[in-house]
Amino acid sequence: MVRELAGLKARLFWNGIRADRQRRIGLPLIAALVTWLAWTLVTAHIDQLTTLEGTARNEYLAWAALVIFVAWVALPVVIFPLDENIDPQQLATLPIPRPRLVAGLIAAGLVSVPIIALVAVVGSTVAHRAGSNLASVISLPAAAIFVVMAVAGSQGFTTLMSAVLHSRRGRDLAVFVIMGIGLASFGGYQLVRTTVDQMGVATAALSHPLDYLWWLVPPVAPAHAVTAAWDGRWLEAVVAVVVALAWTLLIVVGWERVLRWLLVTPRQESAPATARRKVGFSRGRWEVPFIVARKELRFYLRDPRQRLVWTGTVIFVGLAIAAIVVGSDGFARFRDRDWLPMVAPVLVLMVGLPIALNQFGWERNAASYLFALPARPRAVIVGKNLAAMTGLLVETLFLGTLLAWFSSSWRWMPLLLPVALGTICCLLAVGNIVSILTPLRLPREGTDMFAQATEQGLLALLSQVISFFTIGLLLVLPASFTVLTVDFGHVISPWVTGAFAIGWGAFWYALSLGVSGWLLHRRVPEVVGWVQVY
Amino acid sequence: MQNAGGPDFAFNGKSASALTFTWSAVDTGVVIISIDHPFDDVTPAVWTRDLVRRFGKKNAVDGLDLSIRPGEFYGLLGQNGAGKTTTIRMIVGLLRPTSGSAGIGEFDTWKSPLEVKKRIGVLPEEFNLYERLTGAELLDFTAAMHNVPKKEAVARRDDLLAMLDLEADAGKLVGDYSRGMRKKVALAAAIIARPPVLFLDEPFEGVDAVSARLIRRLLSRYTELGATVVFSSHEMHLVEKLCTRIGIMSHGKLLLEDTPEGLCRRMGVETVEDAFIAAVGGEDEEKKSLPWFESSPA
Repeated sequence: MVRELAGLKARLFWNGIRADRQRRIGLPLIAALVTWLAWTLVTAHIDQLTTLEGTARNEYLAWAALVIFVAWVALPVVIFPLDENIDPQQLATLPIPRPRLVAGLIAAGLVSVPIIALVAVVGSTVAHRAGSNLASVISLPAAAIFVVMAVAGSQGFTTLMSAVLHSRRGRDLAVFVIMGIGLASFGGYQLVRTTVDQMGVATAALSHPLDYLWWLVPPVAPAHAVTAAWDGRWLEAVVAVVVALAWTLLIVVGWERVLRWLLVTPRQESAPATARRKVGFSRGRWEVPFIVARKELRFYLRDPRQRLVWTGTVIFVGLAIAAIVVGSDGFARFRDRDWLPMVAPVLVLMVGLPIALNQFGWERNAASYLFALPARPRAVIVGKNLAAMTGLLVETLFLGTLLAWFSSSWRWMPLLLPVALGTICCLLAVGNIVSILTPLRLPREGTDMFAQATEQGLLALLSQVISFFTIGLLLVLPASFTVLTVDFGHVISPWVTGAFAIGWGAFWYALSLGVSGWLLHRRVPEVVGWVQVY
Repeated sequence: MQNAGGPDFAFNGKSASALTFTWSAVDTGVVIISIDHPFDDVTPAVWTRDLVRRFGKKNAVDGLDLSIRPGEFYGLLGQNGAGKTTTIRMIVGLLRPTSGSAGIGEFDTWKSPLEVKKRIGVLPEEFNLYERLTGAELLDFTAAMHNVPKKEAVARRDDLLAMLDLEADAGKLVGDYSRGMRKKVALAAAIIARPPVLFLDEPFEGVDAVSARLIRRLLSRYTELGATVVFSSHEMHLVEKLCTRIGIMSHGKLLLEDTPEGLCRRMGVETVEDAFIAAVGGEDEEKKSLPWFESSPA
């Protein structure tokens, strides 16, 4: 059964490549990217292992194991994963014993591209002391257990998040869960980086011992088994392997429990009907762009996935606060600058990318409903843009106010609105065209929220990277005007900068709207075909 | 309630803005519609010319010529994979044909997509609705996109929700609807703008018997008044009861086209179901068997 599920994943993977042009083009790119990442990590890791000796090396490996485990488990939830899980719901009616089901799902989790990075780092650790046969006998199973623990932990965590999103209250709380993960990740990263920068890896590892907690912290146990074997403490190494195995089983059992609940518990319905919602869209403007905009804005609040994207704003806010609290160099330098609020449009720009560059992917199958309606493509685009602009402006003003409060300077706040408008216009100008040329196929919502994640299409990821730089290019001039207004002798009047930002943004937006309206008119079937979730 | 105005239909250059309905006696579940339709018998309401759609090496639709007259209740029948849904998707502008053309009235779908979409309502086989809109919001959204005046749209929405027994669930998200409720709200969305042409893919699947009867009456009346319904279903008794003409597709081609009575006469059988099975060679299929399935289950 385990072999069959791993085979299923491999078959899904292969068929996906055969059938989907996006994957065919994007997969080699992503594989190259992951390989490059693996190479970078392995090189740095081996350098440390070679340089460090004795206790410092053991502490380093304990910390490395913890960081890799946490990153592997948490990242798929914070960012869209490059991998996909098999949706357990699709297997729910098959006579598969539960232990075999989870074992099979773990085995299937090993059939993926990103696993290259994990296996490379773990493998390089074992190979580092390959000379000793006995050490290898301990290290190899310890390494295998670590990989299984990471894969089970990752899938267990996505299942847990899916369970959270299963309930109405959970969907409301998801924003804060994601914010917590974002904050903790960034805060932790800043803390480790600052400490390592100040003390060096060896001293930092020695002054923050973790290895002695090997029996308590799951990912540290296999790392301890490896270092104990290297040091010739055979019995301790064997015990650590057993402890690591026990932790892995515990994680698997916990995951299986959540999965069992998830498979038999219906998704909680939306909030009860209210009089306000019964009236539908019958209040307010009735023209197509306004109706589409209101539909989009409601989706931002109602669709958990869109909500998670918009939660990105909160994460960025959290990052800013965390950076200031933690006092990292990057942010601390700006704390006393009176133009700090002007950073807000740039931060929000990052948040707006997933929406602006993929305006039709979020429609999923409903695209074939939308495009069977007699709305002018340009009106639909304008409606979607109105919604994105409203959301991004609110977020920019919120973040700007927060940054102004932190920097105790409100001087440049009036300039924030025109600069933000210009920035958002440039974002949408590029986003409209990219959304039509390479719309991103988003995953359908399975039992496991993160099942079928690679359906998003890797080619679109490439086009989005290019778009990111194009938007950056468009923003060079307004950014220069802004910088010369708020600093460097204030040589440009804020009135000029404000007017220029709006004019520049409006010019590119109008140009793009003309092109994208024409493009969408011609490419409706292609857009529908690309975003359709099968 | 009197409905004035509505979509500005035009077939063969004739304005159809006079297409008016009267929706009344909703509480009794009966909708009386009056219509002053503009269609003539020359221009087909729905047409395809040598329509081809190829997926890889397979021709899903293979040189299809259809001509459906205004006011017809046209049944499009075929086995799974015969090309019915592909044909409908090409006519409504959601799938680009490999070659050939399709359209509504005088408009070619691929030359004037907006004009075509103004004249159609679609109930797709798969529910590609906005799951995160409430039923009421979905109907409003559809009406607004069809440029139905707001006041009129609200009145029609309330009538439709009441008639289809969805009033109490109007504020629930469509994603929380049962399959039958989704089908009903999708049908309501398809007809809220009173389009002259309706494409219905399995409209009665999952719908309760009371609502199904109501919908049948509504659709029959709709075609009597000049609207055209293209109807795809595997429920042969409904096809026989409702359709004025039937087209049977197989392997992307139109095998037969006639009235239900004509089909039965041509195939020498009693019912449309028998005629269909005979036309697609289903009698040979019936001879197939599974020897291992014939014994008692283990």
